[in-house]
Amino acid sequence: MDGLRRHKSTFLLPGLLTLFLIIIFPLLFTIRVSFSGWNVSNPQMDFIGGANYTAVLHDSRFWASITRLVLLAGGTVLIQYVIGFGMALLVWREARGRRFWRVLFLVPMMTTPVVMAAIWQTIFHESLGPVNDLLEMLGLTGIPWLTESGPALAALMTVEIWQWTPFMFLLLLAGLLSLPKEPFMAAAIDGAGTWRTFRKVTFPLMAPVSVAAVVIRLIEASKLSDSVYVLTSGGPGSSTETPGYYLYIQGLRDQQTGYGGAMSLTYLVLMIVTLTVVAALLTRAFKLKGDS
Amino acid sequence: MRSRLYPVFKYTVIALWACFVAGPFFWAMTTSFKNANAVQGGPTYIPWAQYEPTLTGWRNIFGGAGGVDVVGPFVNSAIVTVAASAISLALGSLAAYALSRYRFRLGFIKNSDIVFFFVSQRIMPPVVLVIPFFYLLQWGGLLDTIPGLVIVTVALLLPIAVWVMVDFFNGIPREIDEMAMLDGCPPFQTFVRAILPNSLPGLTVAAMFCAVFGWNDFFFAFRLTFTEVQTLPQAVVALNSSIPPWWTLSAAALFGVAPLILLALWVERLLSKGNLSGAVR
Amino acid sequence: MNLNATDLCLTVDGVDHLRNVTATFRPGRLHTVIGRTMAGKTTLLRALAGLQGVDSGSLTRAGEDFLRTPVWRRDTAMVYQQFINYPHLTVFDNVAFPLKRAGLSRDEIRHRVQQSLASVGLTDFGKRKPSQLSGGQQQRVAIARALARRTGILLLDEPLANLDYKLREQLRDEFKALFSDQGDTIVIYTTTEPAEAMMLGDVVLVMHEGRILQTGTPQEVFERPATTTVASIVNDPPMNVFAGRLKGGQVTVAGFQAAHVSAHLAELSDGAYQFGLRATDVSLASSGVDGEVTYVEISGSETFVHVVVGETPFVVQLEGIHDVDLGDLVKLRLRPDRLFAFDERGALVRTPSHDLVSVEGR
Repeated sequence: MDGLRRHKSTFLLPGLLTLFLIIIFPLLFTIRVSFSGWNVSNPQMDFIGGANYTAVLHDSRFWASITRLVLLAGGTVLIQYVIGFGMALLVWREARGRRFWRVLFLVPMMTTPVVMAAIWQTIFHESLGPVNDLLEMLGLTGIPWLTESGPALAALMTVEIWQWTPFMFLLLLAGLLSLPKEPFMAAAIDGAGTWRTFRKVTFPLMAPVSVAAVVIRLIEASKLSDSVYVLTSGGPGSSTETPGYYLYIQGLRDQQTGYGGAMSLTYLVLMIVTLTVVAALLTRAFKLKGDS
Repeated sequence: MRSRLYPVFKYTVIALWACFVAGPFFWAMTTSFKNANAVQGGPTYIPWAQYEPTLTGWRNIFGGAGGVDVVGPFVNSAIVTVAASAISLALGSLAAYALSRYRFRLGFIKNSDIVFFFVSQRIMPPVVLVIPFFYLLQWGGLLDTIPGLVIVTVALLLPIAVWVMVDFFNGIPREIDEMAMLDGCPPFQTFVRAILPNSLPGLTVAAMFCAVFGWNDFFFAFRLTFTEVQTLPQAVVALNSSIPPWWTLSAAALFGVAPLILLALWVERLLSKGNLSGAVR
Repeated sequence: MNLNATDLCLTVDGVDHLRNVTATFRPGRLHTVIGRTMAGKTTLLRALAGLQGVDSGSLTRAGEDFLRTPVWRRDTAMVYQQFINYPHLTVFDNVAFPLKRAGLSRDEIRHRVQQSLASVGLTDFGKRKPSQLSGGQQQRVAIARALARRTGILLLDEPLANLDYKLREQLRDEFKALFSDQGDTIVIYTTTEPAEAMMLGDVVLVMHEGRILQTGTPQEVFERPATTTVASIVNDPPMNVFAGRLKGGQVTVAGFQAAHVSAHLAELSDGAYQFGLRATDVSLASSGVDGEVTYVEISGSETFVHVVVGETPFVVQLEGIHDVDLGDLVKLRLRPDRLFAFDERGALVRTPSHDLVSVEGR
C-alpha cells in the first residue's frame, strides 16, 4: 500500500495533535506550578522545590478525602453493579413493557448530574423534602440528611447510585443481549435451575463485560466532585469532601495554585496507579476462574 | 424451577426501581407548579388535591418579572455542545479511521498505544486541567467566550468519539475500502464516499455520547465562563439554594434535562428498530 | 499493453507468499491462475491491484512502473471471493459508483449500468440494496460493477468459491460468454478448480507455494504437466502419483509387474521413476496392485474409491455406483498406456500420447 503511507498521517494527526496540545499544556503547567509557591498573595512562578509535595503528604484533610473517595467509589460502583445486573436480568428476555422499562431505566444517566443533584437537594430537605415525609408516613423519624455527616454520605451515595446504575444496566443489558444461546440450551438440557444457570453460565460469560463496566465506572467515579459541590458543598465540615472537591477549594476558591498543582498530580498518580492495579486484578481474577 | 410467585416478585422489583428512577422527575414536575405557600406547607405531591398549581416557576424561567433567564444559557449550551461534538466527531472519526486501517509504528508506540492515549484522557479529572485552562484561555483572550469553552469541551469529547469510532470502523470489512480505491477513490474520498455513509450507526452512538457529555459538563463552564457566557447547568446550579424558590429551580431543571430525555427516547427508537446494529452484516 | 511481472517476491512474518513470480499478462486474454488454497493466488492479485506491496521485483505496464502507481490510478477492477458491494448503495448505484468517479456523463452512466446489469441478468434489480439479494445475485452485482468500468485490467479472485455447486456451474458457463467480448482487457481469474481453469482460460498459470510452476494453454498444462505437483493440481481428483520401476518398458509398482510393455515408455532407460495416472485410468480388477479401501465417495453417477497402497494414496474414479466398503482389500488395475513418467525429482519425462500434445494452441 505504498501510495497510502503518505495519507495515513493526514487522517490521524489533526485529532491526535488537537488532543495532545489541549492536554499537554495543562499538564506541563501543572507540573511546573507544583514546584512554585504561587498563591493568592504571591501569584508568580517562583521555585520552592518539593515543599508543596511535603505539605500534601502531611495534609490529613486530603488523605481523608482520598480514603472517603475509595469507600464512596468502591461502595457505589459495587451497588450499581448489583442493581444494574439484576435489572438487566429482569428485563432481558420476556417482560411486559420491556421497551418502556429500558428507556426509563436509562434516562438518569443521560441527565445533567449537577442539575439533578440540585433536585435531590430538595428531595433530601429535612422538613420540606419527600424523603423524610415518606419516613414519617412509615412511622419513623426524619433524618437531617444533608447536615449530619453519616446521612450526608448516604445521600451522596444515593444520588450516585440513581445517576449511574443506568450505565451499568446499559452495558450489562447489551452484554446479555449479545450472549450466545448454546450454553443456555446446554444448561437447560442438563436440568440446571435458575440459580445454577446464572452461576455457571450467565455470570462467567458476562465476566468480560462486567470487568469493563466496573472499571469504566470506577474511572468516572474517581472524578466525583460536581454533585458534592451542589449537594453538600463538602459538608457538614469536610465530612463529604472528595479529592476533586477539596482540590477545587484549595486550588480554585482559595487560589493556592502551587499547592493545588502538587495535590492534583498526587491525586492523578494515585488514581492511575490504583485504577490500573484494580483493572489488572479484576481481569486476572476472572481469567483464573475461566481456566479452572 | 420457577415458582408461581416469580412474576409477582419480578414486577414488584421492577416497579420499585421504576419509582426510584422516576421519583426525582416526578418530584421536580410537581414542585415546578407550586408557589411559596405550597412548598413551605410541607411535601405535597398531587396537584389540585393537595395544592393549587400555578405557573409561577415556569413563568420565572421564561422571562417573567423577577425571574431568571434560562433561554440564553440554553442557547449557549446548545451552541457549545453542537460545535464541540461536531469538531470531536470530525477529528475523532478521521483519527479512528487511520487507527483502524493503517499500521502506525513510532519506536515502541503502536496503534493500540495511540488508541489508549486518546481513551486514557477520560481518566483526567477536570479539576486537574481547569487551572491551566484558565490561564491558557486568558492568554488567548478566550476566557468567558463560547470558542474558549468549545476548545476545552473538545478535550472531553474527542476521546469518546475516537473510542466509539475505532470499534465501529474495525467492524467494516476492509475490502470496502479496497474496492473504493480500485474504483478510483483516493484515500480521503474512500473515507468520505465509501466508509462514512456506512458508519451512520456508529456516528449516531458517538454523537449521542458527545452530546450528553457536552451538555452535561458543568465544571469547565463553571470555572472558565462567568458573566458573558453562562451554560444551562450553570444557570440551574445558580438557582440552587436552601431557601427555596424551588418552583423556579424545578422548572429550570426540567427544561435543562428535557433535550436529554428526548434524546434518550430517540436513541431507544433507533435501537429497537435495529438501526444501530451494524450496517454491514 | 502487456502487464509484465518480473521476479515478484513477498515474505510476511517469515512466510513466503510470492517467490520470484514472473509472468506476462496479455490484453484480450483470460488468464486463469490455478492453485490450491494458500498457494499465493490472492496475494498475486492484490499485488497486481496495488493493495499489497511486494519486497522486490518489478511490475510494468506500457513502460509505466506499476508498483509506483497508486491503487486508484491502476485502471483495475477486482471481484472478491466474498461478495463485496457497497452496503449503503442500491444495485444501480453500486455499479454506477466507479463510473461516477471516472467522470462519465449521466447518460453514459445509465447506459453502461443497464448494459452491465443486463449482462449478468439483474436488469430488474437496480433499485434493491445488496443485502436484499441472494449470495449469487450479490456476486453478480460485483461482477457487473467490475465489467461496467471496462478497465484495462480485470481481476477475479475465486469469484465462484462461495456459491453453491449448481450456481457455480451456471455462472461459470455465463462467464465464458461474458469474458469473450472483453476487448483489450487483461482478465486474470484465480481458482482452485481444474475444470474452471481449463474451461475459462486462454492461458493457465499453475501456482504452488508462491511460485508459478507452469504457464501454458489449458491443453498444454493438462496434457503435459511439467511436474508431479502440476499434475496433481490440474486434475480433479488430483492425479495419482506413485513410485515405480521401469525395465525394458515394463512397469513395476508395489511389487506388481505389468503384463505388457508400455509402448510410449519403451525408449526410456531402465530405473526408478515417479508415475502419474489420472483417477479415470485406474480401475478395480481381479488381479493387480494390492491396496486397502480407506474411503468411498459416491457423487451422482460416479464412485470415488480412495485406496492406500503401502503408504501411497490412490483415487479410483468409477462410473456408476459400486458396492465397496471401507477396509476392503482390492486390486488396482493401472492402465499402462495412460502412464505419465516423471523423474525422481518430479519433472516430466514422458506423456502417454505425445502426438496429442503436438497440436499447438487451439
